[in-house]
Amino acid sequence: MTKPLVFGALTLLLVAPSGCRKQSGGSGAVGEEVTLNASGATFQQAFQEVAIEAFTKKHPNIRINYGAGGSGKGRQDFADLVVDFACTDAPYKAADLASLRGGEMYYVPNVLGAITVTYNLKGVDKLQLSPEVLARIFQREITRWDDPAIAADNPGVPLPATGIVVARRSDGSGTTENFTRYLQLAAPGAWKLNAGATVEWPADTQAGNGNSGVAQIVKSTPGAIGYVDLSDAKASGLRYAAIKNAAGNYVEPTLEATSAAGEGIAVQDDLIFSALNSSAPNAYPITAQSWCMLYAKQPGTAKGAAVKAYFEFMVTDGQALLEEVDFAPIPKSLQDKALAQIQNVQVP
Amino acid sequence: MSAPGPLDLHGLRAQPSWRAAKSHLATAAMILAVVAIAIPLLAVVWSVVTRGIGVVTDAFPEFFTAEIPVVSRRKGPGMGPAILGTLLVTGGATLIAVPLGVLGAIYLHEYGQTSRFARLVRFMTTVMTGVPSIVMGLFVYLTWTLRFGYSAFGGALALACLMLPVVIGSTEQMLRLVPATLREAAYALGTSKSRTILTVVLPAALPGIVSGSLLAIARAAGETAPLLFAIGAATAYNPNLFAEANTALSVQIFGNATSSFVAAQDRAWGAALTLMLLAFVVTFIARKLTARFALER
Amino acid sequence: MPDELPGGVLRGPQAHADRAFRGIAIGAAALVLLILGMIALVMADRARPVLAEMGLDFFTSKRWSPPHEKFGALPFLFGTLYTAAIALAISVPVSLGVALFVTQVAPRWLKKPMIYLLDLLAVVPSVVFGLWGVLVLSQHFGLGRSFLTAGIILGIMITPIITSLAREVMETTPAAEKEAALALGATRWEMIRAAVLPHSKGGLVGAVMLGLGRAMGETIAAALVIGSALGQITLDPFAPGNSMPAVIANEWGEADHMHRSALIALAVALFLLTIVVNLIATAIVQRSMARSRGKS
Repeated sequence: MTKPLVFGALTLLLVAPSGCRKQSGGSGAVGEEVTLNASGATFQQAFQEVAIEAFTKKHPNIRINYGAGGSGKGRQDFADLVVDFACTDAPYKAADLASLRGGEMYYVPNVLGAITVTYNLKGVDKLQLSPEVLARIFQREITRWDDPAIAADNPGVPLPATGIVVARRSDGSGTTENFTRYLQLAAPGAWKLNAGATVEWPADTQAGNGNSGVAQIVKSTPGAIGYVDLSDAKASGLRYAAIKNAAGNYVEPTLEATSAAGEGIAVQDDLIFSALNSSAPNAYPITAQSWCMLYAKQPGTAKGAAVKAYFEFMVTDGQALLEEVDFAPIPKSLQDKALAQIQNVQVP
Repeated sequence: MSAPGPLDLHGLRAQPSWRAAKSHLATAAMILAVVAIAIPLLAVVWSVVTRGIGVVTDAFPEFFTAEIPVVSRRKGPGMGPAILGTLLVTGGATLIAVPLGVLGAIYLHEYGQTSRFARLVRFMTTVMTGVPSIVMGLFVYLTWTLRFGYSAFGGALALACLMLPVVIGSTEQMLRLVPATLREAAYALGTSKSRTILTVVLPAALPGIVSGSLLAIARAAGETAPLLFAIGAATAYNPNLFAEANTALSVQIFGNATSSFVAAQDRAWGAALTLMLLAFVVTFIARKLTARFALER
Repeated sequence: MPDELPGGVLRGPQAHADRAFRGIAIGAAALVLLILGMIALVMADRARPVLAEMGLDFFTSKRWSPPHEKFGALPFLFGTLYTAAIALAISVPVSLGVALFVTQVAPRWLKKPMIYLLDLLAVVPSVVFGLWGVLVLSQHFGLGRSFLTAGIILGIMITPIITSLAREVMETTPAAEKEAALALGATRWEMIRAAVLPHSKGGLVGAVMLGLGRAMGETIAAALVIGSALGQITLDPFAPGNSMPAVIANEWGEADHMHRSALIALAVALFLLTIVVNLIATAIVQRSMARSRGKS
């Protein structure tokens, strides 16, 4: 990397007194002031906020800053040791794993959340959609609400002849990634745009910034449809559709249905799993998951102890806080596995 | 010729001409331009004031002093840490960029002028004004944050990089407008070059330099993207310039205004109002001070 | 300007102070080159993966699809230029008009409040402009998120810059020249054309260049209202589009490896574009200066 001479001189002058990066804690004595920095997924930001509030109330000497910024940013910050932990909606790609400066790390799952399909259609209180129809709508192959394909999912419901306005994300998003991955899994023949945080949406779609941006477009545009996480959909007062799951049932995004999506899924040894397109009979199919990450060997004593304690909190008492922010807890079996994983973390 | 009677002044008045009409048209066009810019200005200021004033007065003065609520969907003040953060970051950036920028402009106009080096620097300065703020943020992340972690100082560096070319560019313009006679008079009195610049040229150009610098500072105070990479996030006060994450009003505005929750949106508009008031007060003070120190034109 | 005093070389401590000052000034100016050089190096290093894979196709390809690892910067290059052009088309006439009004037409009691009002416009944070754009221009006036909406917002944002600098430049027009024109019977507009504008030309160009730089580099406001469409190269101003800073800002948070490299390569592309645009602008200005010099 380039060595800036001027910056180097300046930094030596100015930083020497306060020392280099504060990774080392202290002796780890109880009551010592510790500040943890974190960044990552905005999908679970709401949960992080309430968890941090509750945890720091019990441990007033610990302060935690969750800077969000996106899963990609979280993964990069974590790899670069700029933050003490990070949260992500997707695991590292193989090419990026080599860049982890802190060595071995653990994924700790902590939330399950529903991605709703919200719509704005006067007179239609209950809408049902199957994944194939969903894929074709978002690819702009179905462009009117009274299309026979939509009618087939909604027998007996009068659908107006309005044009469909598709609302999607302008910013890269873990929500987009999970939504498109779901379409890939559930409608492989119909969905052509692949899966990712940013995909090649057709030009005649509307883009909003953040979940709230999409929600705002749907709310203010008659005939609009968009994917929004449950929390923002409820806050904006939007209606959402019941989606046909892999078992053939149309399920609404309730918290029970979200939890059901987490039951009986295959979990890897490193605790990576996917709750999308669950085949449980009453599971909501577009259920997304998220993890937080910490290093197996914590670099500092005080900070390491704090990180470990917080992670333990998140998968035990913290799970009770999920409902108020419209998330679902991970299955008990997964909580136990996660706790066991965290116990393995070594603090110097 | 008719017999001279009482003086007929009507005949002496200039005839309505196309030239006069053109001048009036030009004046009308100028007024139109003023109206054109006044409308969005007033509309934006109106939006900020109407949305933000309620939030600020509801919890006055806690809004300016209380810590930022950790749970963003909860109602309540305040923006204290963000105000401090903005002052630290923008203040730091100004202290770095303005002196360096003015010095650089002095070199360009007073010493370098048309030399190859000066022309290269001049060109690159204009190029530098086009570097997006997010690229500056990435740059500071890769060179500073990676080594020293989050800190207000990193943010100040990023903003200083954004401000520097604007200060250089505008200052050089102003230096160019100082008449040569002023300089020559000073030299004739035996003043050295550096002394002339510091005591004669700079004061003469001061109002313009301050204008340009204020523009740069105002932009810096409102920048979001570079700070996200350099200062991290915080909800509590952090007066330490060199260590630990911090926050700023611009970052808070962006994060909260794009939220679905009214409580967060309210705080965003309150923060926007606060930032505008803060920046306006700084501008006001700066202009008042320069009026005292500038050479009369 | 004499580097030495007429009559001989400086001596003594004054000479050292003088030389030291010159040295500091050179150092400050060199800082620009140093920082830009570092930015270029760091960015080029990080952009290498995607450029190695795609070569120059990166700059000429239209398709941007991260899941397929296909990255083409052309639509974003176009979008940046198009929105900057719209912004300048709106801002330059308005800024000139306002600056002329404040310096030549406005009565004394109006001048100061107007200057402060313009300052107010300059201190509105860019993110607030973006939000206002979404709420008012996009929604209320139905302009949607498009090249035009972004161009208008950018135009409003760069107006204070151009106006403020133009105003300062016009203020320094020597009163003697203005009075001479008026004494010869010129109307106000003719006086402006004869005295104010020729004197201010250089400064005005500089002001516009600063405004252009800001228009091309504005990130957040553009990201919120430009529409974030992919692959759009069209002159339809109501179409949604994209610009390089907007793409970088929007997609950075979730990008990894190759995608990130592509975003940094976009920054490099913008860098090169700014250089080219500035070269062209400088050439145009030089030619017009030469022509006017030739005339006189």
